[in-house]
Amino acid sequence: MRLLGAFGSKKSERELSAEIESHLQMHVDDNLRAGMTPAEARRRAVIALGSVEGTKEAYRDRRGLPAIESLVRDVRYGIRTLVKSPGFAVAGIVILGLGIGVNTAIFTVVNAVVLRPLPFADADRIVRLWHTPPQSTFAGMDVFPLSPANFIDWEAQSDVFERMAIYRGGRWTLTGQGEPDAVVVYRGSAALLPILGVQPMLGRGFARSEDNEGGPRTALLVNSFWRTRFGGDQSVIGRTITLDRRPYTVIGIVPDLPAFMENVNVFVPLSWTPRERATRANHNYRGIAKLKPGIDVVRANADMTAISKRLEAQYPEDNKDWGALVRPLQEDMIGDVRSSLMVLLGSVALVLLVACANLANLMLVRTHGRAREIAVRGALGASRLRVVQQLLAEGAVLGIGGGAVGFAAAYFGVGLLKTAFAAALPRANEVAVDTGVLGFTAAIAVTAGLVAAFFPAWQLSGRDANEALKIGPGRGNSAGGDGKVRNVLVVSEVALALMLLVGAGLLMRSLTSLRGVNPGFDASHVWTGTLQVPEAKYQTPEMRNQFFDRVAQRVRALPGVESAAWIDNVPLQGGSTQYVAVEGQPAMKESEMPVVAVRLPSPGYFTTAKIPFVSGRDFTEADGFGTTRVMIVSEKTAERFFPGQDPIGRHITLTMMTKEPSEIVGVVREVKLGSLDASAADSETAVYAPAAQFAHNGSTLVARTTADPSLLTRSVVAAVRAIDPEQPVLNVQTLDEVVEESLGQRPLAMLLLSAFAALALLLATVGIYSVLAYTVRQRVREIGIRMALGAPVKGLLGMIVVEGLKPTLAGVGLGLVMAAALVRVMETLLFGVSRYDPGTFSVVALLMLAVGIVATLVPAYRATRVDPIVTLRSE
Amino acid sequence: MTQFEKNAVWQGTLSLMVLRTLLTMGEQHGYGIARRIEQTSLGKLTINYGTLYPALLKLEQEGLISSEWGVSDNNRKAKFYKLTKAGRKQIERDTKQWEETSAIMTRFLAGSEE
Repeated sequence: MRLLGAFGSKKSERELSAEIESHLQMHVDDNLRAGMTPAEARRRAVIALGSVEGTKEAYRDRRGLPAIESLVRDVRYGIRTLVKSPGFAVAGIVILGLGIGVNTAIFTVVNAVVLRPLPFADADRIVRLWHTPPQSTFAGMDVFPLSPANFIDWEAQSDVFERMAIYRGGRWTLTGQGEPDAVVVYRGSAALLPILGVQPMLGRGFARSEDNEGGPRTALLVNSFWRTRFGGDQSVIGRTITLDRRPYTVIGIVPDLPAFMENVNVFVPLSWTPRERATRANHNYRGIAKLKPGIDVVRANADMTAISKRLEAQYPEDNKDWGALVRPLQEDMIGDVRSSLMVLLGSVALVLLVACANLANLMLVRTHGRAREIAVRGALGASRLRVVQQLLAEGAVLGIGGGAVGFAAAYFGVGLLKTAFAAALPRANEVAVDTGVLGFTAAIAVTAGLVAAFFPAWQLSGRDANEALKIGPGRGNSAGGDGKVRNVLVVSEVALALMLLVGAGLLMRSLTSLRGVNPGFDASHVWTGTLQVPEAKYQTPEMRNQFFDRVAQRVRALPGVESAAWIDNVPLQGGSTQYVAVEGQPAMKESEMPVVAVRLPSPGYFTTAKIPFVSGRDFTEADGFGTTRVMIVSEKTAERFFPGQDPIGRHITLTMMTKEPSEIVGVVREVKLGSLDASAADSETAVYAPAAQFAHNGSTLVARTTADPSLLTRSVVAAVRAIDPEQPVLNVQTLDEVVEESLGQRPLAMLLLSAFAALALLLATVGIYSVLAYTVRQRVREIGIRMALGAPVKGLLGMIVVEGLKPTLAGVGLGLVMAAALVRVMETLLFGVSRYDPGTFSVVALLMLAVGIVATLVPAYRATRVDPIVTLRSE
Repeated sequence: MTQFEKNAVWQGTLSLMVLRTLLTMGEQHGYGIARRIEQTSLGKLTINYGTLYPALLKLEQEGLISSEWGVSDNNRKAKFYKLTKAGRKQIERDTKQWEETSAIMTRFLAGSEE
């Protein structure tokens, strides 16, 4: 019925007029009968009836679906008024669009990485399994890979998991299939793919029996790899491929895998030998499991801790203080990226608030200009609520416009973010705009529009229509309440922008201090690339060393190469940590032995990386197999094991690789092996042993060049191919790039936060400027009079600037307090700078003030250019 | 004198008065209803007519009254309202409820004076 009322409106409108008219006539008749003059009779009747338009309005509200009907009307009206003032509309939409755009872009990333579940079946039940290492030897490390024997015991004893799996990844060389290529091979137990809910598209998966050595060598190919390398040929199933020189029979194709497995090309079964199964003290595997339904992570952890305690008691030698940790896979993957993303999300929210405040200001100024129009509408019977609704609708229209602009901007921005984030962000390839993002944008767009419109609407609801009518057009009073609201808005804009500036400033300083950290080597002009040699081809350590020697020799001969050497892992990329036995210390159980970082370089490595010697000598070609084992230690290692003594000539045994002690022949300066921001724990003090004296099957070639090192790649690859045409070169990077990569997502976080802070600063500047410009315009007459009475221009200028700066000053104060309260959330991103860094805080405050002064000077100066005669005459 | 404001209690009260007036007087136009309410209240209530017509519309929408155009005593064209069946039932319900409420209020106010 009421719905119909919303349509048949013209007819009922006529009827209502007729009804009211007849009502009026009857009243007049009665009054005449009571003896009044016709004029008096009519006047009284009209007064008694009250406002005809008001009645009609109330009646209309009653008749239709007032909310929907007036909403449609308000939105139409909103669009019309905005079209009529395109300048304001465009400004509003651009301001909101910027705010919404950055929010949408960052939310898209957060949504894909943090909020959306991992793209596996029952993703919430998939967990990662870790060891927790003893803190006495691995200080600062919270998790550690698994050892086979412990995993086997875990699996036998736990009953919180549906299935458990263990795997390790590596680069193997694929030959006999076009160009030799290093492919990523995951060697894993049969349960690995079923836990992730992955079924082979073709063929079969691994059988449980394949977890142990004995059967034929089999392999599963990942779809995209199968398509690119084998042209999607189905007959490949049953065929043999050569990986690291060994034949593997392809038994199936599995679909492309997401998340942490997106780089895998081939799966092979675990095929553990009895010796591997018995390995308890060497931790090289990763574990994954699926919780039984109804079991939560807390339960699982309790169960695993109990098992670990039993194993500790059972194998004190290997397992003392080794615990277990169960962590939801998603949490495990995201790790510390989460905090960066949350900081970014928080900062874009602040940007949006600044944008809202800015738009609110614009709308306020405009509403003020329209005060008369609004007052007239009120006098004609429009209820205050309706006028407020209209303003809100206008805000919503602006919001939706801004949302559309922002969404479009974000759609392209996300692509950039994705590329920029790719290295540092897990799940980067899943980042895409989806319906959730669209919903988010729509929600914040409308909310932002409404919030911005709220202030002028609120302002309006407290205004007396009579007052507004009296003021006359274009002469609003600046002293009134909306001056106060405008100042509150400026204060909040300044405060919010300042918070962002502080955040960006602290990150900038962190990055500067990180870049300022001496890594212990000279990263400029160094080319690096990894050679992984198949053990099946180069069967003995001697053969492998020979190969590397020949490669290094050839590379040294290349034009532009100063020196070349190799090492198992270049600095900042981690590597092996091992137990060692130190000469002069009593014999102890392995689990109680000290732990150090072990690196295996070739002669000339220290010269190439420019790692200075403190004393002693470098390795030489003579330090090879069968000769006395030698060793170079870092300064800290020397100090740790031989305090106050000369370490040269002393011995340390790398017990995990040999029983023979190595003689220390040199001491080098400390190098950052793990990351730049790590305060080197004891486990990171280094010992170096000659690669030539230990077995290894992969090393990174390091070459110092005179020119741009990235130009070297082609000739190095050619040099390698000349020796072994089947040998690929991997992970080609300059050492500078290695350093940059070790900064993680920090540079990007800083870049984005700075961009957001700059945006907020710009918006706040516009805010300060527009408010003051408006105030000045309001006071042109007063200024004119003052000047006519002889007030000096300088004094006037000062007066206006001082007044204009008040809200800026208040905002700076407020912002400093809020920033100090909030910087805690970005603590993990900071390095080498206190979160209350007085330098950053004061520089930011001064910058904000300077911007505030510039933004006030312009309108103030303009005010003093007023010609008093003109101003006064315009009255 | 009491003005009918646009709040829910008064609107409900006004509705009941309108229904009751129509029950006593039979078919009646808006002006007549308003006058009747004023007379019944011995002039203590003046009705802002602006609230009367929306109230009438609401009752009609709820199916408690119906309307049609007719001619008044002194030959004026006017819209006449009359009770429907549902309207009569509504009077019973509302009257009972109002009596209960007012009894409670009376007792309450008497009690609070002690």
